[in-house]
Amino acid sequence: MNLSDTTTNTTKVKTMKLPTIYKRRLTAVVLVASVTLGLAACSTASAAGRSSASDTVNFGVSAAITGQYAQYGEQFKKAFDLAVEQVNAGGGINGHPVALKYEDSQSDPKQSVAVAQKFVGDTSVSLVFGDYSSAASIPASPLYTAGKLLQYGYNNSNPAFTAKGSEYQWSTSITTSATYVWEADYIKSKGVKSVGVTYLNTADWGIPAFQAFKAEADKIGLTITDAEGVLDTSDDYRPSLTKAVGGQPDAFVHVGYGPDAAKLVTQLRAIGYKGTFYGGQDEKSFDATPDAEGSIVGAQFLETSSDPAVQAFVKAFKAKYPAETHVTSFEAGAYDALNVAVAAAKLGGTTRDGILKGFQQVKDVPSVVYGTITFDTTTRRVASPKLTPTILTGGKWVEYKG
Amino acid sequence: MFDTLIAGLLRGNVYALGAVGISLVFGVMNVVNFAQFSFFGLGAMLAWFFVAELGLSFWIALPLVLVICGALGLLINITVVRPLAKFLPLAAMLSTYAVSQILDNVSQITFTAEFRVFPKVLPTSNFHIGNMRFGTSDVVMLAITGVVMGVMAVFLKYGRTGQAIRATAQDQEAALQMGIPVGRIQHVAFVIASALGGLAGVFIALYVGIANPTSGLNVGMTAFVAATLGGLGSLGGAVVGGFVLGILEAFGIHFFGDTAREIIIFFILIVVLIVRPGGLMGKVPLLSTEPLTGTFLGKGRPLKIPRWVWPVAFVVGGVVIPLVANNYVLTTGTQVLIYAVIAAGFTVTAGQAAVLALGQAGPIAIGAYTSALLTLYLPVSFWLAVPLAGLSAAIVASILASPIWGVKGHYISIATLGIGTVIVAIIRLVEPQGIYGITMPKWGDTLLATPVAYYLIDFGVLVLTLVVMWRIRHSHLGKVISSVGSDEIAALASGVRARDYKALAFAISAFFSGVGGSLLAHQYTYIDPTIFTMLMSLLVVTIVIMGGVSLPYGAVIGSIILIGAMELLRFTPELRIVVYGLVLILVVRFRPGGILVRNS
Repeated sequence: MNLSDTTTNTTKVKTMKLPTIYKRRLTAVVLVASVTLGLAACSTASAAGRSSASDTVNFGVSAAITGQYAQYGEQFKKAFDLAVEQVNAGGGINGHPVALKYEDSQSDPKQSVAVAQKFVGDTSVSLVFGDYSSAASIPASPLYTAGKLLQYGYNNSNPAFTAKGSEYQWSTSITTSATYVWEADYIKSKGVKSVGVTYLNTADWGIPAFQAFKAEADKIGLTITDAEGVLDTSDDYRPSLTKAVGGQPDAFVHVGYGPDAAKLVTQLRAIGYKGTFYGGQDEKSFDATPDAEGSIVGAQFLETSSDPAVQAFVKAFKAKYPAETHVTSFEAGAYDALNVAVAAAKLGGTTRDGILKGFQQVKDVPSVVYGTITFDTTTRRVASPKLTPTILTGGKWVEYKG
Repeated sequence: MFDTLIAGLLRGNVYALGAVGISLVFGVMNVVNFAQFSFFGLGAMLAWFFVAELGLSFWIALPLVLVICGALGLLINITVVRPLAKFLPLAAMLSTYAVSQILDNVSQITFTAEFRVFPKVLPTSNFHIGNMRFGTSDVVMLAITGVVMGVMAVFLKYGRTGQAIRATAQDQEAALQMGIPVGRIQHVAFVIASALGGLAGVFIALYVGIANPTSGLNVGMTAFVAATLGGLGSLGGAVVGGFVLGILEAFGIHFFGDTAREIIIFFILIVVLIVRPGGLMGKVPLLSTEPLTGTFLGKGRPLKIPRWVWPVAFVVGGVVIPLVANNYVLTTGTQVLIYAVIAAGFTVTAGQAAVLALGQAGPIAIGAYTSALLTLYLPVSFWLAVPLAGLSAAIVASILASPIWGVKGHYISIATLGIGTVIVAIIRLVEPQGIYGITMPKWGDTLLATPVAYYLIDFGVLVLTLVVMWRIRHSHLGKVISSVGSDEIAALASGVRARDYKALAFAISAFFSGVGGSLLAHQYTYIDPTIFTMLMSLLVVTIVIMGGVSLPYGAVIGSIILIGAMELLRFTPELRIVVYGLVLILVVRFRPGGILVRNS
């Protein structure tokens, strides 16, 4: 009892003393501090601009390094760093080495706009990769457009990113609608008559994807027995799943990503459903989920592909990061993106203007995802992208010819 | 039907464990412990590390996780929570939020952010009742929970320490006078709660099959609601709340879909709170000031600010910065200013009326959507849309919140959290697609889309906000609202209708939140429901507490520090959040009443 009394007293004494010393100056200090903060930020930004502008070509990366999307930020960074290393080893862009400037946005629009403005103000940056989600990328787009800085949304599968953007928004990601139209056609071609569906109820991705799937399914006569919107932040899907398979569909489709598909397929098998699972993603947690075996998706990038370019990339990636057992489409997409940017800069020049011209002209850039990349300059997306049916066997995705 | 019930039971099991921990700490310390959320994610990751990486047996890993979580809990209580909880529960709550940020990010740096597959240590689908399959794993989890709850019940009823815990929960001062070492008892309660959090985390991993460091957040939130539902401080209530919520949630999802999950959870909560304001098994709180904020007002007085500061601040903010700062600083400035508007408006509710509303993201979202839709589909200009957005946020949020003003104590904070979450969840149901191409502000034919223009618009709105807030504070109305906040019983005795004034204060705050939301929408030109998160609500609360809970101009300082700091800490990207948390703890530790408040 005595003990706790004394501790309280000392705490009080301490906290009372400190403010009395500072109280008069405090307001003034706070004011001055906030102004200096501003000025300090100014000077560091411009200093950085000056020191590295001369020789190196700088690309910005706006990505989640911390926060809930940090997993993807890590994957992108590994692939970018590898690609930069290779480009520089091969002489850079006409002799100029390439360097990346990373800024953490947490894929939060409040921070991605600040990051965008930081890059726009940094004259040494001639192109920016990112951001990860639409909610962070699209709010930043007007700033990039105003700054005449090309925003390369290499991961933006949301068609609106380019469709509603300006000539400064480009993407090599296949749009969700294209993916899921393909998926519906493919499932139907396998003789499946009815499917139960779950889809991520997210504005920027899941809903447009499901709408594309449903429209195509209706057109070709694939019956959807029940469709349930789910959230990737949930982790218990059993109530939704028991309902979705209530009509005993031939197969099951999940429109979503890897981590949520891993949870879903585990619980789908736990409630006793045995039909084929069309869904999931080449992503570690999904690949290593025992119940995910036999899942089928249309893939852009296939680690096990016999294409020598893919094999060289996978080999180099695993050599640089020995702890990585898998290389996924996330790494492949980022790796491709850097190479596309470099190819464009070689063609059009390393200034912001030059790079934009380069993107408009560039053709047949070697790609580990598409084979080669040529842009459709009106949609600013890859012209006629193709998918390959793949099946998860023994924790690895392989081409499915069944 | 039966399978849904089983799914609900399994789910409720995890909620119950988490809720007991939250209720325990709340009972003995009167602090809502956000760090508890982090123990879910941490428990899951530690279990994964021991089992999948080190290859230990699950039965060795389980006690190890409990010991580590318990020890961490003790450390947190000694260093952060107890020194503050003793005299400022609100500051302690803020610091537990900082601790949870640090724990999550350290865990993320240690284990990386990847989702990990949790090995199947026990069969998961070897039994079935009807169509519903379940496994040994589920039975073992239920059994462990049963045993833990049984032991806890006996311990609290008959054990000496257990009795001391109950005594402390009933009346801290009396317990102290009876010779109970309250400090040590609080440590014990914190250790037990943290260990239970770790256990719940292990169960999440077992049940869901995969885990990452942030995977505990949503379960944590629901466990928190379960604890409230049962009655904060009541352990039996926490167990009942956990299972009730688990089962009702399962049926709700069955009928309305997973998207409605949050609406279901908070709808249940709000209905229960209206019918039984103290939760299912808790005591109805007597007429009392809000435990979080009421006690808080008496603890400090605002610093006197010399008159010359105002014109200087106006010139620096409105003239010097726009002239000298580069676009990056100005863009960061726009975010600082918008949040300052929202937070300054929020001080009427949080400070004057002493209702620590936790759901401001709701009115912000209403403002953003109203403004976006008005300018896109009707011939309404930006300048008219901003006040209209504020108005509609005030009206809609007030209508939705109208039933909750009779709720007392901490419960009102949680009820407002519910209102905020439900608003965003409804928007997601009605308009799940994002809104694109929201028009930028125009003056005549000139497009005001440069960072300087946004900055100046936001600055103007902030100045107006501060003037209005100043007028309100010094008006008769403001004094009445303050009276409700500082002593509700005295106010009621003087014939002040406390409920109505709380509602009015909330409407004023919602207006400024709506204005802020509108400004955000026209700057981003794109909005979707993922922007208006619980983290946004917490940021608003943190800003207000940082600056001094009832000072509108304090909110400006809070906003500069909390949003500016995130940008300034860019030199250390990986440690950014950890350093941010540490800064927050230090500020709270040394100026618990807020930066501009002197302790007394």
